[in-house]
Amino acid sequence: MNILTMMWKNLRRGYQTLLFPAHPRVTPRFRGLVQFDPALCTGCAVCRFRCTSRAIEFKAGKGEFTWSYNPGQCTFCGRCVEGCAEHALKEGHTEHALSQQEAVPPIYTVQGELKKSYTVARKPPAPKPAAPPTVIPPAGAAVPSPATGGAQ
Amino acid sequence: MTLLTALARLLIFPGLLFAVPAAWFFLWVERKSVALMQERVGPPFMQPFFDFIKLLGKSTPPRSGIAGLLMRAWPLIAVSAAAGAVGLLPVLPSSGGFEGDLILLLALLELPSICIIAAGFSSRSIFGEIGSAREAALSVSYNIVFLLAIVSIAASQHTFRLDALASAPFTPLHWLGILAILVCLPAKLHINPFSLPNAEQEIYAGPMTEYAGPELAMWELSHGLEWVAGTGLVATLVAPHVGVAWLAACIFVAISFAVVLLLSALATATARLAIDSTVRFYWQCTLIFAVLAVSSALFMRFRS
Repeated sequence: MNILTMMWKNLRRGYQTLLFPAHPRVTPRFRGLVQFDPALCTGCAVCRFRCTSRAIEFKAGKGEFTWSYNPGQCTFCGRCVEGCAEHALKEGHTEHALSQQEAVPPIYTVQGELKKSYTVARKPPAPKPAAPPTVIPPAGAAVPSPATGGAQ
Repeated sequence: MTLLTALARLLIFPGLLFAVPAAWFFLWVERKSVALMQERVGPPFMQPFFDFIKLLGKSTPPRSGIAGLLMRAWPLIAVSAAAGAVGLLPVLPSSGGFEGDLILLLALLELPSICIIAAGFSSRSIFGEIGSAREAALSVSYNIVFLLAIVSIAASQHTFRLDALASAPFTPLHWLGILAILVCLPAKLHINPFSLPNAEQEIYAGPMTEYAGPELAMWELSHGLEWVAGTGLVATLVAPHVGVAWLAACIFVAISFAVVLLLSALATATARLAIDSTVRFYWQCTLIFAVLAVSSALFMRFRS
């Protein structure tokens, strides 16, 4: 009889199933589409080297380079973002297939349709810092030996 | 019964035109009520219909030879038999009948089970064969009680006409027979605690494991029609005799609905029994009551 009481209570209480959330939160560690900032990129192509799925392409030209990203090939592993020393790459948090908070997830019907290319002019190399003035030791002065390493 | 009334009963009411939507409705009621009693949401109202249409649109794997032919034939025979059984039910007053239609009804009610057994063995799947063997053992167990219950009601009224049984006055023996039919219905409809042949999570879908597409749709429809026929049989025996056709139809649907809810509650409250426990239940516990009912009926007949 206990089971019948339980069933009656269940019937009166209604369903307890948690419905699929319409707007689930995007966690801080969520890895979305890779965002590229051309202003910060120096064209080192480390991201292309680290991309195992070949979603990132890099073509070097004279005075400029072309950086391409194909989200259709991306596995969102985040290795390119980790390896970017200049922080020119970031992981997007908006195009969440489940949340649809700010933008709907990208949809493509043809291979490579979502591919984006940026042609960035190479920045002139930064001027080297001025070398410190070299002091010529006077003749006969004691020079610290490499074995001792100088003053400890 | 003229040819016209026979066709009207078979095709319109309570035949195909009524029975097919009623089958989907009862399947939905069973699934939804079980879900609500388990604190789940359950399927939407049109889900059994959508399932049927979706399955009709799918293709089936090509099967050659006599096994393929048989696998296509079994579900069609099962649907035809179940629809015929529903068509025979004397729902409307003075809808006609013939002497011995009860025996035809019992035969038609049994045909889907035989088709399921044959289908499982035709599919040559190990799960299908296990399910068919279970269905065969179950069928042998509950059918004795089921047939004895109906025979006891028929013997007490001295007739094998369904409409005569439906309009017969209620006696304690009548109620005992109906109770025995109710005990057998969960096994006939493969619901808990006797859901052995198509034991989910155990032997996949039993005899239906190898079925897909329109053939599986036909099996689902046959199952729904079995629900209508099984609950309808109880409804015709329980329903009070009324002269107005629409009222009789409404009472039939209401009692069938109540029986579906009762069986759903039983399915929710119980877990699946093992095959030996099931066979023992029917042969040891319920057979005594069925034999008692038949012997009482025969005794009453000789006394009268």
